[in-house]
Amino acid sequence: MALGDLEREVMTQLWDASEPLTVRQVHELLGRERDLAYTTVMTVLDRLAKKKLVVQQRADRAYRYAPAQSRAEMTAALMFDALSATPDQDAALAYFLGQLPPGAIRAALDATPKET
Amino acid sequence: MTALLLGALGLTLSLAVPGVLAGARWPDRAPVAAVLLWQALTLTSVLCALGVVLAAPEEMTRAAGADHPWTVVALVLSLAVAATIVIRLLISLIKVSARARARRERHRMLADLLDRAERHRELGGGEVRVLDGALPLAYCVPGREPRVVLSDAVLRILDREQVDAVLEHERAHLRHKHELVMESFTAFYQAVPRPLRSRAPLDAVHLLLEMVSDDAARRRAGPAPLRAALARLSDAVPLAEEAPADPAGESRRRRLDRLAGPAPNSTGLSVLAGVAAVGLLVLPTVILVVPWLDQALDAWPFRSL
Repeated sequence: MALGDLEREVMTQLWDASEPLTVRQVHELLGRERDLAYTTVMTVLDRLAKKKLVVQQRADRAYRYAPAQSRAEMTAALMFDALSATPDQDAALAYFLGQLPPGAIRAALDATPKET
Repeated sequence: MTALLLGALGLTLSLAVPGVLAGARWPDRAPVAAVLLWQALTLTSVLCALGVVLAAPEEMTRAAGADHPWTVVALVLSLAVAATIVIRLLISLIKVSARARARRERHRMLADLLDRAERHRELGGGEVRVLDGALPLAYCVPGREPRVVLSDAVLRILDREQVDAVLEHERAHLRHKHELVMESFTAFYQAVPRPLRSRAPLDAVHLLLEMVSDDAARRRAGPAPLRAALARLSDAVPLAEEAPADPAGESRRRRLDRLAGPAPNSTGLSVLAGVAAVGLLVLPTVILVVPWLDQALDAWPFRSL
């Protein structure tokens, strides 16, 4: 399984959990369906922490991991980034729909009901 | 004389022509050639600026009398200014592409993490990502590992055929490397001093590239699904239409109009615009070379024979 897919599944577990998880808990949640090394899960969590996507908390001699932002927050931030990318800055992305005028972006994102 | 001619040409090309070209509607019928014309226009105005800087001091000192010590100073100064222009453009290009690459990199990583993989299994294509969210949005993230990102709302609003048309449109952007064209125009825009810069080329080329992708998607998926997708997605984002004097609303109308009838592209217009683009690029060289050729012919030793 590709590393990117694994990172996504680990994030999904952390997002779905109600509290910060230990490596062992993540490993158990993922391991139900397939054979996965404990150390692999540890490496993935470590990489995600380095990218500042998850935060590491120390509790009872074990590290616990929580997502830095909820899935909804992170999605909204990504969409905001996509919608506010204008060609006079860096022309990073190309669109099917033209960009929204700057004032409308926040309003549009706020107006859309959150799905979670 | 050469400097004056080049200066007049440069000013015309950078101040008058972009407004006319941005306001014209014929580029809708020859989008590829029109992009070439914009590129030639921009490049030629840079060449003219360089030509003026290099030719003017030399001509002025020659008029004032040769062998003057100021001739050397003027020449050194003009070389320095010309070098500054070139370096400024290059630095701008490097900065813009580095910033775009970093933004895409991060954007791709986050899109991969937030992807709802289970919602697009049947769409095919390993590069498609689907994000949660009721705001309809479709775009692509260019790069060595490109992504096409759709919001969940797109999948709910559009049927399968229309989604395929949208995907074809985004893949055309990726295949034709439109991001490189946009990056070069952005770099030029940022290199021009603030009071002189104009958004007209940026916005015009952006819209033209959308039309080029529309044409590619139309060939593969047919005009009807693409047009329906564009109309439905714009209807679902009413805020953009309400904004006063919104250029995006106008550009959407132009794209919809192109998709309404038979294929609008005209070979004749494309050829004309292409010839104009080449002509523009050659013009400064001709202006520089002709007087020199004149002098050279005068000095031709076998002329009297």
